Amino acid sequence: MRSIRLKNIEKSFNGELILENINLTIPEGKFFALLGPSGCGKTTILRLIAGFETPDNGNILLGDTDITHVPINHRRINTVFQNYALFPHMNVFDNVAYSLMLKKLDEELIKSRVFKILKAVRLEHQIYKPINQLSGGQQQRVALARAIINEPEVLLLDEPLAALDVKLREQMLIELMDLQETLRTTFVYITHDQTEALTLADQMAIMNYDGRIEQIGSPREIYEFPISSFVAQFVGKMNIFRGTLHIGSKVSFVEETNLGAFEVAAGARVPWMVEGGQVLMGVRPEKIWISKKAEENFSNHLTGKVESIVYHGPATQYNVRLKNGTRIEVFEQNEEHFPKDKIDYDDHVYLHWQKENAVLLER
Amino acid sequence: MKTKKAFAQKENSFFWGVVALVWQALFFYLPLSFLLTTSFVKYLSSTGVSYFSFDYYLYLFQPVYGFIFMRSLLAASCTVFVTLSIAYPVAYYLALKVSDRWKNTLFALLILPFWTNFLLLVYSWYFLLENDGLVNMIFLKLGLISSPLHLMNTTGAIYFGMFYCYLPFMLLPLYSSLEKLDPRLLEASADLGASFWQTLRNIIIPLTTSGIKTGALLVFVPAFGEFVIPALLGGDRTMYVGSVITHYFLTVRNVPLGSAFTCISALVLVVFVTVIFKVFRFVFGRDSYGS
Repeated sequence: MRSIRLKNIEKSFNGELILENINLTIPEGKFFALLGPSGCGKTTILRLIAGFETPDNGNILLGDTDITHVPINHRRINTVFQNYALFPHMNVFDNVAYSLMLKKLDEELIKSRVFKILKAVRLEHQIYKPINQLSGGQQQRVALARAIINEPEVLLLDEPLAALDVKLREQMLIELMDLQETLRTTFVYITHDQTEALTLADQMAIMNYDGRIEQIGSPREIYEFPISSFVAQFVGKMNIFRGTLHIGSKVSFVEETNLGAFEVAAGARVPWMVEGGQVLMGVRPEKIWISKKAEENFSNHLTGKVESIVYHGPATQYNVRLKNGTRIEVFEQNEEHFPKDKIDYDDHVYLHWQKENAVLLER
Repeated sequence: MKTKKAFAQKENSFFWGVVALVWQALFFYLPLSFLLTTSFVKYLSSTGVSYFSFDYYLYLFQPVYGFIFMRSLLAASCTVFVTLSIAYPVAYYLALKVSDRWKNTLFALLILPFWTNFLLLVYSWYFLLENDGLVNMIFLKLGLISSPLHLMNTTGAIYFGMFYCYLPFMLLPLYSSLEKLDPRLLEASADLGASFWQTLRNIIIPLTTSGIKTGALLVFVPAFGEFVIPALLGGDRTMYVGSVITHYFLTVRNVPLGSAFTCISALVLVVFVTVIFKVFRFVFGRDSYGS
């Protein structure tokens, strides 16, 4: 279990720049998620770490060793491929034993290690089954077992759960977390699914469409304190307002279409927070309180008309149209079987939030 | 709608299946049974009576025929070996390393020469290899040799012609099976610590056995019975299986003896190919540690 450091990585394919000036430290022994939209270059980063590609510029370090030009088969890094890439002509045992077989280890030793790992991924009853007779979840476990049997320093996972159904995916998420806990191997998990990343990761990095890393932090930091509207809207949902900043005794945000001025609790002052500065304000849907009557004790409020209601089970989503035409999303927990003051379509509603629950964004 | 269509397709395939079967029965199994019958029927002109006999087979039980079989088996085996060694890397490169843009063009260029008539292909080697042919001329001009090399009518010329003519029969099936290979499997293999040769041995070859087998059969079977190349490039001085068959059927017109020889050679071919495939399977087939 060693850390991975990418230094000034640059990579282009057929003259098209995919990654530019990537600097990234993946801490050792942690579950690290790399989250980004499809085509942002996150898979390229994984392929660079694995060794399938060489960067045009920059260095890749495993611990303190520069592995930029070390061939794939000499890196102690293993990969769980998106579609598993299991060897179709081998059974479960041979697939898992492959890396040990290449090392020409003693046959009995290989057997005992394979049996142990197959037991750990609960495949002890499928040992001699051919690959094509396994279900998707079982194939996923074979791929995992095959990648970890050689005790890699770093395990790379390329959207490994994408092909599984929801129930199985949730189950595998928990298994993956447990596995990382026990192995303490550095896990690098590539995904475009924010829920997976938030659930699994100790640390995560968000990449944007241009192949740049927007923000690195713990899932909580990323969700509660996004640094840009891209991060805010890619991870979870965020209602965004555009306006100017006024810094007096309190910090307030004046919305550009005269929706009003909203008080903001700006914790740390950053250089772009200046009087009259053009900024964005974001409020998460679940941090807004919706009601038919105006409520006291809230720093900020707005009014609007309910346009549509989406029932999710544990929560209900209200889409509220404001007077300036903007649509705001609000989540409410469904706490009661029979809500006292049920909100319906076309109802005129009040939206409230506390000043601490809004974030200011530079862009 | 959908089921109706599927049913129609099924019916259609049944129809064509029957057509193919009838065709095969008429033009393959029927003549083959004639051949087999003829080889066992002896006709005595003095009495005008035909009777069942092993005489032709017993006659062929001579060392000289054994040598001919060995010679043809060796030539066909060498042809398979050499064409496989040349075609496999070429097909691998073409299927997995060349970008899609160039793949079809390059493949067409490789196959194009073989649209030429087979006889013409063989004859062109005659003009290259004869004593005042192109090869000798160039070598003489370059001063590499002082007198023309004797290239025509040698075993070397026969072998060379066979390698040349049978290469595309090996290339096509190899290419189509390598083309289907998922490149991610090769990445997975390398990722798990395999060198290129280990990946070749454990992943690439086992997953392309069907292509190798098809190619080997497509080359071996006709090469075993080849008679044009030994006749044209070998000067008809050494006998191969094909030459013997031609000799009996077309030159001396001893049809029963020719039939018997053909039947034996078919048997030799089947036995040999079966043994080779068994060996191949033993080497590259599943060798599981666990079971």
